[in-house]
Amino acid sequence: MGDFKLIFRQLKELIRKEMLILLRDRQTILLLFLMPVALIFFLSLAMEGVWADKLTGRKIQLIIENESQSPKANLLEEKIKSNKLIQPVDRPHGVDNDQIFADGKAHAVITIPKGFDEGDKPVEMYFDPVIDAGYKIATRSLITSLTVEVVMGIDNLETVVAGLVTEKTKPNKEFPSPLQQTVPAYAIFAMFFIAIPMSVGFLREKKDGTLQRLFTYPVNTNLVILGKIIPYYLINIFQFILMLLVGVFIMSHIISFSFHLGEHPWHMLPVTLVVAAATTGFGVLVASLARTPEQSSTLAATGAILMGVFGGIMMPHVLMPMVMKKLAMISPMYWAHQAYLDIFLRDAAFVTILPKLIVLTLFAGICFYIAGRRVQWM
Amino acid sequence: MKALAVSSVTFSYDGAPQCALNNFSISVEEGRMQAFLGPNGAGKSTLMRIITGQLRGYSGEVLIYGDKMTDRSALISIGYAPQPISLYTALTARENLRFFGAMAGLSDEQVVLRSNIVLEQTGLTAHSEETVITFSGGMQRRLNLAVALLHSPKLLLLDEPTVGVDPQSRNHIYNALMELNTAGMTILLSTHIMEEAQRLCSSVTLADRGEVIFNGPMSEIDNLEKLFLEKTGRGLRDE
Repeated sequence: MGDFKLIFRQLKELIRKEMLILLRDRQTILLLFLMPVALIFFLSLAMEGVWADKLTGRKIQLIIENESQSPKANLLEEKIKSNKLIQPVDRPHGVDNDQIFADGKAHAVITIPKGFDEGDKPVEMYFDPVIDAGYKIATRSLITSLTVEVVMGIDNLETVVAGLVTEKTKPNKEFPSPLQQTVPAYAIFAMFFIAIPMSVGFLREKKDGTLQRLFTYPVNTNLVILGKIIPYYLINIFQFILMLLVGVFIMSHIISFSFHLGEHPWHMLPVTLVVAAATTGFGVLVASLARTPEQSSTLAATGAILMGVFGGIMMPHVLMPMVMKKLAMISPMYWAHQAYLDIFLRDAAFVTILPKLIVLTLFAGICFYIAGRRVQWM
Repeated sequence: MKALAVSSVTFSYDGAPQCALNNFSISVEEGRMQAFLGPNGAGKSTLMRIITGQLRGYSGEVLIYGDKMTDRSALISIGYAPQPISLYTALTARENLRFFGAMAGLSDEQVVLRSNIVLEQTGLTAHSEETVITFSGGMQRRLNLAVALLHSPKLLLLDEPTVGVDPQSRNHIYNALMELNTAGMTILLSTHIMEEAQRLCSSVTLADRGEVIFNGPMSEIDNLEKLFLEKTGRGLRDE
């Protein structure tokens, strides 16, 4: 058998062996494929609520009590109730404000007192003490505007003010939708979890002697390394494709957000190839640092979770405080996630994504370098 | 001709206070089945690992059919069944053979042909498509041997090939080894079972603490266990 043919055959069998072992391990399949799908499913659903609150504007639930019943008070009550941001709620019989807020029945109680018409008493606002600050400001602003309209006899203050103040906000390109956040985030998270089967497999082979036995045959060490890396690299790419398909074709039908691939979806190819290199690099590093399969599982899982926490996987980076935003940059998951958000969210040019890919390539290079120095084959 | 000639090999593990092998020499004539005996810590497994290229950094010389061990392709002359059962338990018997056959450089056709032969020799034909994890200890041991035989090596190195197996499997392995030896295969058998060595082998090398302490034909030894204890002492070896 010619040298090249022999090398190719050996590499093919090394990859085949690794794939067979991997695909016959149910725990690995659960970890690499079902875990991220479940995370995408449930966290997209959970985050849908956050997005509805934060961005699309959930209606403010108000109890409106008109003690005055005067014409102006009635007009104010009518204006508040008919406002598109308000959802009027009736006060349950015999329940005080504290209990209403504790039960989550309303966000605020507005009382129009007797003497409102005469200007003796102001409109009273009681807020749920734990209400989001943004809601509180919005509600105060709305009630103030409507009260001014009624008291000053202005029909629509918003129209009057429109000539003086106008909003020119650009479309939000920083805040990902639940799917744009969770699909790449948990695809990356799962890709880094490849370190567990990768390192455990390597150490198990060392422990049971199959790796040592392999070296009693005329097999090049570099070929063995390639035979270990290529299958996991391919599985990483498959993981991403699977998560993307789940996001585009399944989750977008379940929650009320569609998944946009951006203007340059082909950028996913280089990004995914580089991210997969970083994740396999992490796997190789863990395999070289750990001494037992148990150690490598703990090291890989802890490492991946910490990188996820810091890297904006668990919580969107834009919602993090400034210190955490800076700290996020130590996590390769941050760079990977931002590269995908560049594609899905910001329609970024390749030159914008390139620095992130360079960081990830450096991370992969450092991992492979350290692993190469530390790995003990026997 | 010497199938194996190990001359003055000295080797120490990193951080170990003493040599695992000290000026160690052993040779095996072609076509012979030779026992390699010694208590724990004698250096048997270390020597096996050196011969099979797993350990480097030793001084001395190892020749296999006259070829230096510096070229890994010389390994193809050797079949090695290590003491730990070194198989992929998630794969079937045939998948294990296919994998190791490819590593040895066999073609697809050769792998199929040789797999059928070694499965027959080791009594595993009926279980060839079962995953190794479902095998009994004896079956795994026999497959461990089958892998070593797959590429038709000229020199077979066996490191305690019957550890932990039932008498039936052990007997099957003995018969297979005798047939192979009769057919011309040279075998170096490392074992702790004296009856096994005396029954199968025509010569014996006894080692202790990394040094050869006895070499001779089996025909001149009346009671191997008695000789073993005389040469190596009766004290416990907890190492």
